[in-house]
Amino acid sequence: MFKKILFATTGTPSCDAAARVAFEMAKRYNTELFIINIFGIPSRSFSQVITDLRTGDEIDLHDDQLAKIKNKLERRYKQQIRDYNTPHEIVLTDGIPHTEILRAARKNEIDLIVMGARTSTQENTGAVNRHIVGRTLQSVARSARCPVLIIGRAAASFWGGISNIVFGTDFSKGSNQAFEFAFNLTKMFNASLHIFHAIDISSGPFEFTKNQEVIEDRIREVRGMIRKRYISKMEGYNDYEIDVWEGIPYVEIVKYARESFADLIVMAHHTKKMAPPEESVFGSNVEQVVLRSNAPVISVNHPARQKKIDNQ
Amino acid sequence: MDKNIFCTPNPVNDKEALDALLRDKRGQQYYDEMKRLKVDTAALQKLLNDTCRSRIRTWLEICAHCGMCADACAFYLSNDKNPEQVPSYKIQSTLGEIVRQKGNVDNAFMRYAMDVAWGKCTCCNRCSLYCPFGIDMGVLMSYLRGLLFSQGFVPWEMKIGSGMHRIFRAQMDVTVEDWVDTCEWMIEEYEDEWPNLKIPVDKKNADIMYTVNAREAKHYPDDIAEAALLFSIAGENWTVPSEGWEETSLAMFAGDWEGAQLQVKSVYDAMDRLKPKRMVVTECGHAYRATVIEGPYWAGLKSGKTPVTTLHYVEWVAEALRSGRLKIDPAKKIKEPVTYHDSCNYIRNGGLSHIGREIMSYIAEDFREMTPNGDHNFCCGGGGGLNGIGKYRQERNTGQKVKRDQILATGAKLVITPCHNCWDAIRDLEETYKIGIRWSFLKPLLLDMVIVPEHMKPKEE
Amino acid sequence: MYNLLTGPLAWISFLIFFIGILIRSSLYIKGLDSNIDRVTYRVNTLFGIKEAVRSIFFWLIPFSTRGWRTQPVMTLLFFIFHISLLASTLFLKAHNMILQERWGFCIITIPNVVSDYLTIAVIVTASILIIRRIKLPQVKILTKRSDYLILIISIAPFLTGFLAFHQFGHYTFWMLTHIISGELLLIVIPFTKLSHSFLFFLTRAQLGMDYGIKRGGMKRQKGMAW
Ligand code: SF4
Ligand code: SF4
Ligand code: SF4
Repeated sequence: MFKKILFATTGTPSCDAAARVAFEMAKRYNTELFIINIFGIPSRSFSQVITDLRTGDEIDLHDDQLAKIKNKLERRYKQQIRDYNTPHEIVLTDGIPHTEILRAARKNEIDLIVMGARTSTQENTGAVNRHIVGRTLQSVARSARCPVLIIGRAAASFWGGISNIVFGTDFSKGSNQAFEFAFNLTKMFNASLHIFHAIDISSGPFEFTKNQEVIEDRIREVRGMIRKRYISKMEGYNDYEIDVWEGIPYVEIVKYARESFADLIVMAHHTKKMAPPEESVFGSNVEQVVLRSNAPVISVNHPARQKKIDNQ
Repeated sequence: MDKNIFCTPNPVNDKEALDALLRDKRGQQYYDEMKRLKVDTAALQKLLNDTCRSRIRTWLEICAHCGMCADACAFYLSNDKNPEQVPSYKIQSTLGEIVRQKGNVDNAFMRYAMDVAWGKCTCCNRCSLYCPFGIDMGVLMSYLRGLLFSQGFVPWEMKIGSGMHRIFRAQMDVTVEDWVDTCEWMIEEYEDEWPNLKIPVDKKNADIMYTVNAREAKHYPDDIAEAALLFSIAGENWTVPSEGWEETSLAMFAGDWEGAQLQVKSVYDAMDRLKPKRMVVTECGHAYRATVIEGPYWAGLKSGKTPVTTLHYVEWVAEALRSGRLKIDPAKKIKEPVTYHDSCNYIRNGGLSHIGREIMSYIAEDFREMTPNGDHNFCCGGGGGLNGIGKYRQERNTGQKVKRDQILATGAKLVITPCHNCWDAIRDLEETYKIGIRWSFLKPLLLDMVIVPEHMKPKEE
Repeated sequence: MYNLLTGPLAWISFLIFFIGILIRSSLYIKGLDSNIDRVTYRVNTLFGIKEAVRSIFFWLIPFSTRGWRTQPVMTLLFFIFHISLLASTLFLKAHNMILQERWGFCIITIPNVVSDYLTIAVIVTASILIIRRIKLPQVKILTKRSDYLILIISIAPFLTGFLAFHQFGHYTFWMLTHIISGELLLIVIPFTKLSHSFLFFLTRAQLGMDYGIKRGGMKRQKGMAW
């Protein structure tokens, strides 16, 4: 299922949890592992000086400096490299992080991107750069042609026997891809699939919050939709559950995941490329879930590379 | 005495030399070597004889030393009216001296001249509007830069920049393959939301050939996609050339006239090859200046014009909005106070001041002018290559104070900067002075506001 | 002495003055080069001429350019100095009498009191210009000894003429120095910074053409906002 994994890291402790998972998976599935570090963003026009993403310091772009950064990265993951003994390639580059991550994923035909939730939102970065780096996770999850595994909390850094997979849907196009992926994983691990939807009562019409009957009607309706859209495609696989709750979606899904002992959450991250933040409700949900959940989250949005894998 | 390796009068013409130069961190060795770089006075004299004609000589001679140009210069004002920043002084103490001495100047003098030419002047040409004789220190500085470049007295980054153009025909190491690949990538990126998006490469006889700034391919590929989207929404028949796609010119900033010529010729060749009706250049000021205003002269075109009519991006936007090919959703106009930074290179030196205003009238509800503006605007402080020169970083930062105060006086928190250099400079200005502003090109703002025709929307399931 | 000065020497100085102007102007124009200056003087010339005329016109009218408006004191000084200087010289009764006598024509004249005040204005504004050179750091840094010298050469005829007219001390002495300094001024004009008196029109026209032909002239809506 995974042949090439791209692990995007800042090389700081905030990515350690993600690193564990990345190395673990690379070993387990015997994949090629690419480690990408975007160490600085261009900030001095065309000059060779760039701004360190973490400290806001200036760094110079030249071979010695690159060697140093590479060295630091290797030291940070020395343990993993030794333990897992996985072949890996380190990609160092400057640029806008999400642009470079996506560029590398495309170029190397990556099957899975692994990143920490705070991969790039370090507190120290100058105010000026924050609006760029703050978007990294969102932009990567939205645009990547492969699933993106996001490790938010140390507790989520587990990838082993997977027996419960939660698939959170919002019925978007992206969710269809996410479902396909979740189902494939379910089969692979022989796990049980928990299909979940949360009716958003925080932003819905007024009577929603008022009238429980309206909500319950809606719940019945949604269950129908789930059967029609997803269960029908499960070829008789019957280790599944359907649950529809009401509330604030990201809160509900985190609670639900905890209750169902989820080892993994799969969701779509379908914010529009250019949508203003307030419209990207479910998109920001993914980030919220990542930050709150004890399970790793995989965001799937696009069919492109996914299809290829199915064909193999 | 050691031989100079990096700092020589010869321009960088091959990749090896470029890489070596890049490895010299911040040009330490380069600047060290510069201290012992010999001035070839005979060559300098010959160059003066060949190129220093009546216009420049007369300007230098009749300057009445009246000081009326002083207040015109953002650097003078930003540096607490330090008399050494008076435009006339800057040019008389450098180029004036070289001409008077007929090229008999020494190494220390040349290094001083370099400090002035790149550290104290962005070639914004504002002073030319304040001198009663119309003496244009921007033009003179640019000429001086050419002299300095020919002798090798040029800031490290400028030498690299000129080398990039000579080697890659782009200001950064972006090859033709990288460029075309980036276009393809952007289509993939956007195909979900914009299923019909195309970036036609090398299409012949299109209405518009679009050219960009290499930074877009290198760091900001979304910019290319945004341009593609707006062209498609407006229903344009457009294309990008696979070769000759880059229209910026660090060579111009460097005073490398040969490199500048090579660069613009690549664009003009693309015009000849693809025969578009018009060319549109991206939101970049100096690129427009280089390719459209100065370029024809470098390339020896007698008409003084590009082979096909060329528009700056703002002209295209104004045209599309005027004709209704781009329609703005009235509800989505910019509501907050917003101001527009006039780029010297296509406003004062390109005559497009009214275009900026026209665009703002379509898209903003509370447009606030800076004072002064239009042809009389102040430079952001980052022009003329200053944005990227480490040696003169501090000078650049200080020079931005005037722009900072201008922006603050408008009360707007959003600054529209349809120029890559200015965009960079305003960002840096925020970084240095933290005045709480945002800055943007036109493209992303327009995409937020424009009414998308049905056929471009993805089909809902 | 008087005859020599107002006869052959006057002829010579006027000749030098006019021929000097002619030569320098034509050299200037000849030295313009479309390729080197990067302005196609011969293509789209009309756009250039239009802006050249505007460029000269606006700069000749007080407070009509932004440059003049932003420096009102200097503007007043500048215009009072130059207008007084030209008017008091050209329209002075005595000068016109000589013209009539020698060459048989004259320009309009103004009453002597007016000339007198104009002369005083020249001397006063020139003095302020000198003080300005000493006091203002942005002017001081530009100033060379030759700038003072030129200013002195320029106002010497006015000072001496004034003294002669009011018969302070020795009239003939002041009269002769007046003529000598006047002729000296004519002779140095073409060869010094004072050549700006006519080159002003050419450099302004050049910049006008530059903006008019090349730098946006054909796209600018209302012409350059000088
Ligand atoms: S061109 Fe601009 S930066 Fe240079 S001296 Fe003139 S006003 Fe100052
Ligand atoms: S305003 Fe013109 S004449 Fe006066 S000092 Fe400046 S450049 Fe010289
Ligand atoms: S960077 Fe912008 S404002 Fe500054 S000189 Fe260039 S065009 Fe002008």
